Parts: sequence; C-alpha cells; structure tokens
Amino acid sequence: MRRLGFLLLVCGVLAGVGARASADWQVMDAGREAFARPLDGLTDAERERFFRGRSLFNQSWVVAPAKDDQVDGLGPLYNRLACISCHARNGRGLPPEQPDERMQSMLVRLSVAGRGPHGGPRPHPAYGDQFNEEGIPGVPGEGRIRLGWVESKHRLADGEVVSLRRPRLAFTELGYGAIGKVLTSPRVGQQVVGMGLLDAVSAQALAALAAERKADGVKGRVNQVWNPETAALEAGRFGYKANMPTLRAQIAGAFLGDLGITSDLHPAQNCTAVQSACRQTPNGGTPELSARQLDDVEFYLAHLAVPARRNADSEVVRRGEALFAASGCAQCHRPSLSTGASPRFPRLAGQTIAPYTDLLIHDMGPGLADGRSDFAASGREWRTPPLWGIGLTQTISEQQRYLHDGRARSLSEAILWHGGEAKVARRRFAALPAQERRALLAFLESL
Amino acid sequence: MDSLHKPSRRAFVRAAGALAAAGASGSLWAAPTKDVVVLTAYPDAVVSRFEAAFEKAWPQYRLRIVWRMPHDALPYLRQAGQGGVDVYWSASPKTYAQLKDEHAFRKLPVSLEGLPGRVGGSVINDPDGFYAASEVAGYGFAVNPAYLHSHKLPPVADWSDLADPVYAGHLAVPDPVEVGFAPVLVDIPLQAYGWDIGWALWSAIAANAAFTGRGGTFVSDEIGGGRKGIGLSIDFFVASAVANGAPVEFIYPRQGGVNPAHIAVTAGSPNPDGAKAFVDFVLSEAGQKILVHPDIRKLPVRPSVYAGLPAGYHDPFATAARGGYLYDNGRGRGRAAPIAAAFGQAFVRPHARLVELWRRLHAADGAAWNTVWPLLTAPPLKEAEADDPAIQRAFFARRDDPAAEALAAGLEKTWASRVDERYAKAASLLGVA
Repeated sequence: MRRLGFLLLVCGVLAGVGARASADWQVMDAGREAFARPLDGLTDAERERFFRGRSLFNQSWVVAPAKDDQVDGLGPLYNRLACISCHARNGRGLPPEQPDERMQSMLVRLSVAGRGPHGGPRPHPAYGDQFNEEGIPGVPGEGRIRLGWVESKHRLADGEVVSLRRPRLAFTELGYGAIGKVLTSPRVGQQVVGMGLLDAVSAQALAALAAERKADGVKGRVNQVWNPETAALEAGRFGYKANMPTLRAQIAGAFLGDLGITSDLHPAQNCTAVQSACRQTPNGGTPELSARQLDDVEFYLAHLAVPARRNADSEVVRRGEALFAASGCAQCHRPSLSTGASPRFPRLAGQTIAPYTDLLIHDMGPGLADGRSDFAASGREWRTPPLWGIGLTQTISEQQRYLHDGRARSLSEAILWHGGEAKVARRRFAALPAQERRALLAFLESL
Repeated sequence: MDSLHKPSRRAFVRAAGALAAAGASGSLWAAPTKDVVVLTAYPDAVVSRFEAAFEKAWPQYRLRIVWRMPHDALPYLRQAGQGGVDVYWSASPKTYAQLKDEHAFRKLPVSLEGLPGRVGGSVINDPDGFYAASEVAGYGFAVNPAYLHSHKLPPVADWSDLADPVYAGHLAVPDPVEVGFAPVLVDIPLQAYGWDIGWALWSAIAANAAFTGRGGTFVSDEIGGGRKGIGLSIDFFVASAVANGAPVEFIYPRQGGVNPAHIAVTAGSPNPDGAKAFVDFVLSEAGQKILVHPDIRKLPVRPSVYAGLPAGYHDPFATAARGGYLYDNGRGRGRAAPIAAAFGQAFVRPHARLVELWRRLHAADGAAWNTVWPLLTAPPLKEAEADDPAIQRAFFARRDDPAAEALAAGLEKTWASRVDERYAKAASLLGVA
C-alpha cells in the first residue's frame, strides 16, 4: 500500500501534464457534435476544404457508371456505402448484439498463415484480406457473417461479479466457395478525432517511447508497416494494430477495403483471382477517389478538434486520475505527447497533446488475442488506443462498446480484458475497492 | 479473474477467431435471407436506422441499398428489369410523377389508412395510389439568437421581416440553382404573397443575403457557427442540429411549404412480398417514429405519431388545420426549376451589383424609390412563363436533352438581359458607375 501511495504521488504529477496541455487542438463541446468540430481559427478557404472533406466522408458512394461521376465506383465488393457508416457522428462503431443483426459498423479482417506482400498479412486466396459482405448488382457479395457472444462471469476482489463476453463468428451464404482455415479479426469502426495530431507525432518520438524502461513488465514496440505512398516500411500509427503509417494511408486503405474505392495509393480494384464478375465491372474512374478528394478527406480528418475534458478539476476525477497513473495505466495510455513537424498541416506542429496513447503495440495477452499477425504485430499485440473523447462515447454513439471488437459494454469490462503487458495494471484495478474503481472510471469519463 | 486470461486453447480459438473453422455451426446457423433492393438517396443516418429496424422486424429479409441521387435514379429505373430494384424511396416528387407516367410503379400493395393524402394545399400521396408520402419536410429560418442579440437585431417571424435592410449582411440563402431543396423555398413566398410582391420580397431579401452553394457547408454551419445570424433552409438539417445541441432555433413562417418524400414499389419488383414488407414498415407507427431521431428530424406522415413526440416538435397537419401550408406543391413541382433558374439570373449572378443598388436606394430620397424600386423588384419572368408546361419540360430535361438545354439556356439569357437592362437603368438613376 505504501508503494501505491508513492506511485500515486509521482504518477499523479505525470498524469497532470495532460490537463495543462495546450488548448489549441481542443473544443469545448460535450454534445453530439463534439467529434465534428474543426480546429479553431481555420481560414475561410480552409473551412471550405474542411467541409468538402466532410461531405466526402458522409457521402454514400454510387455504383458506376453514374451521372454523379465524382462519387461513383462503389465496390464491386464492399462493406458499407459511406465512411460515416462505420464512424457514425465520427465516433466508434457498434458490433451486432444478436446473430441476426448485420454488421453495420464492423468488419472482419481475413488472412491465411504466412506473410503477404511487403510483410503484411497474407490475404485469403478467394476472399482477400477483408470480408466484404456486399456486392454491387451483378457481383455476388462474399457472404454473411453471424456474430454471437459467449458470456462468462468473473468475481472481483471485493466480491462484485462482472459478466464478460467474447465474440464467436460464423460465415454463411458464402459467395466464392468454402473459406477453409482462415485467420479472422472482427473490428468495429474507431472514433476519428485528433488523427492529424497523432499523424504529426514523429517516428523518432515513437522510437524513444519504445526505448524507455517501463515498470510492471510493460514494453511496447513500434510496428513497422508498409506505406504505399513512399513504398517503404515506416512506423505504424493508425489501426488497431498500428498497421497504417499515416493518416493518408489509413484513409486510402479504408476507401479500398471498406467501400471498394480506388485511389492513387491503391489503384487496383479489390477483387481476387476467382472473383471474375468483380473483375469485369466498370469502374468509376482511374482512380475513383481523385487526389484532390483524398486531400480534402485528409484535411477534414486532420483538422477535427478533440473535445476538451469535462469536470477535470473535481475531486473524484483528480483522485481517479492519480489512480489511473498509479495503477500503471499511464505507462501506455500516455497523458502527454508532443507533435513534431507537420509541413502539410502546420497548425498541427509543435503541439503538446493529451491523447492517452503511446501509439505502440503491446502484448495484451490471450484473452484479447486474435491470433492474426499484422506486419510486426503478433496475434497478441494491439496498439494502445487513444482515450481522448472516450468519456463521450455514450453521448456520441448512444451505447458504450469498447475494444477492437466492441465486446466490452462498459469501461470496467474493457479494463478487465487487459492482459499480457497490462496484466499488472488490470490486477491493480480489479483489487481496488469499489469507490476507488468508480473514481478511476470517473476520470476516464472526463476524457 | 485471471481465468479469463488463461482460457483453454480450444476456447481461445473459438472465441477470438484464430484459425476459426469456417461455416455455419451451432446456434449461429441461420436460414438464408432474401434481398429487398431499395433505391434511395437518403443519407446513412436515415438508411442505417431503417435498415436495422426493418431487418429486426422482418428477419427473413435483408435490405440491399442502391444509392442514387434523384436525377440519376431515373435512368437507373429505366434500364431493363429496372436494375433489380424493388422499392424506390426518395424525396423528389417530380421524379415520382415522371416515373408514374412511364408506368415504372405498381399500385401500392399496402393500406394507407391513417395517412392523410395532403398537408394543407399540398397533395402528398399519389391520388391514383402508385406512391405515397413517407415523410415531409418543411421550410423556414434558422436563427442564432446570440448572434441577433450581439448585433442588436430584432427577431424575425415571417418572410417580410427578412426584407428589412437592418438584416443586410446577416442572412444566408441557399442558391436554388445549386441546392436541391431550395427551388421550393423560392416558390413559397411567390405563392403566398403573389407573383409580383413575392419577387419584390426576394429582391430585397437577396440584397441582404450571402448565397450558399453546393459545397459542403450547410446553413446550420453558417448560423450555428455565428458567421451569419439567419439562414433560410429546409427544416431537417437545422432541426437535427438543434436536437444535437447547436445554439440555433428554427422559425416556421406563417405560410410555409412542404416537400414530401415518397415510397413506391417498382413494376418489375423481383421480390414483391419483401417490397410490401418494407413499405409497410416505413409507413407504420414504428417506422414513422424513426424519423424523429435527433440525427434525422423529418416530419412523420402518420398524424397519430405526433402525440408522443417531444413538446415543440413541428406538426404540419396541425399547422395546416390552423390555416398554414396553403402552398400548392402540384403547381410548384413543375415551375420550381424555371423559377430557380430565373432567381439565379436575377439575384445570384449579379449579386454584388444588386447589393450595391439596394444600398444606394436605401440612402436615396423618396423620388428615387418611385423610379428605382420597380426596376429592382420586377419579376425576371412572367408567371405564365413559369407555368408553361413546355418551359417546365425544358428545364426538367436539360441535363439529358440538348434541345431542352438550348431552350432553357436561351430563356436564361433572355431573363438575364432583361434584369441587366433594368439594373443598368437603376444604376443610372442612382448615379452608380
């Protein structure tokens, strides 16, 4: 207990850095528009660009050929019609609650054993690297995924019983034959605020974070991933396994994987060799997402502000903040990072931000493992997700679902799933008296 | 607790999906679903909620959305087999009327009991039963009270208030040539006040306004962000922003108008049972209640739904019963496009000049008003021109038909030179260079 008290003192000071961060990247809004605000001070021309990007992010894409030739080229295989479909109100997606429900804001990554091009996952020979349930007219969709939940009960140190659930998948109505042995990883859409700032954290800063000595067996590595724009391996920053190096690559990858929209970064349609109808359909241009459109979407996402904290000075929140640090959570969920140079978006350069992530991949143990490696990330490793804005999840998404597959129905459940390098922190949380746990959760709700 | 993090290998494989044996198994098995193909231009906020609720109510069906703006829906439904579409569901009365004329629909296979066929002067259901309204939208003014307060501007209640020069520079008006919902907005005061007075009002309002185009900026952005104080708009964009916390109010004028969205089953529907189920669902109490979600905020067409809605939710049926909504959408549907084009030539194209002429007129003496005011406010076209079916056809078909485009462009040129001549004369009288 004495050690915990010492940690509270030291880490409380460290955690407090976040609360004093520069406010330039924040917006005072705790409502349903909180994830949709631009950074303050954009010029008229920048606002126009921001709103053009927003229109494209919200746009439902059209089957080619079409008179709306700026937004045609959907598919041939796809998950949903629009970016916003998986990031409603720019927030996180939700998993199906019942097997009959479709995946409205969730997808399933696929691969087979071995390495694919550039060291990434090896796509399934018939179904590719992502299961696209939908096909445009004339092109069979890849099938249906039914997702059920397996519940289990667990008792905390103070006797409170919590129920945790994990997903179980089944493929049905397969469009291109038996799928056989395949590695799968279900993922819900992520919230999209503050991505420009994370993009501006330098690779050197990430390497320094990885090299730091940490307590409790926490390590953390930089994923090294392929950048299709530079044709080189670079530090990963985005995606649940940090398998995307830049915001631009993340956007272009999602346009192709989720909507079937090609870009300069991904000029080929998302059809495998056996998907003949897919390969014969007309496209919506080469590429379908022009460089200017990609610029606009990137500008929009890069300049979405992060909601400012609420109740940060209340006693219970400050107590929770200290407990968060003392429990070891802040070793990975870093309360303070600095952005480096940002030549394309100078507003994002040189900021001190409070994202509560280190952008590193960590072994999270077998409970969360998907068994599917992604570049340097193993099947047990996940990127530390940013926590800024997490307290507004209920407001934005109208439900609370956390972790990569939305299995956690509360922040408590999400913490209790932490294993591997986070095992010690999770045990400390589980051992806290109920009042202390509530304080820590109150802190998270303030983010 | 740690048992969770040391599951058996078997449990781990099953739960996390690593090398999961694919295929239906156990409780996850299900009978195949049948597609209901819906052609629509609704945004994801609408589509995803109807999709989830419909598939929950009718688990044997799976909605497949084909997304097309109305001008692109027409050729899609004209192709062989109507592109496999079962249901057309969109807000474009003109497109529905055209498709009905082309026998693209079958009679609606559902009961319309409890669904009035009109709102005031506007017919919203097809009298022959080929399509029915699935929601309506109204028009009015988005207002930022804090902006009005800080600029010491009086509140607005009706169209004529907007013509007051005190609002110069404080209004945002959608350009009806670029913004799809705006042509009806332009026609509402033309019908409510009469042709000549309506155009005179618009001239003064346009001189007070900045126009917003089809870029990504919404009126709610302009007003909520405090860049302008009052914005003219269709209601749901603003009502949704208000419901989600924007510091904005929405004012319905004494005489407004409604724009219905419709639903129809295609003549060649491959899944007529599924189509019927979807139409039934959209028009049901449960379906109509989805429309009031803060992210949607459309006006239900089933009056019984309004009883359970939040206080202050606009009820167009109640407003019509009190004498509002005299707007005739049948008349407006055909003439909206030529009116929008004339508006563009009279006010949007020469906007800077219009603003300057009105500014100088307000500074001039009474004698100038007698000579200049008629030159600034005269309609750019005759009402008979706007109501002429041949002219209406030309503007409707101009995207696809070169002859129609030639006629429409020629008329625009005529209206433009008419306006330019009047403005030149007004400038001369006011001593403007």
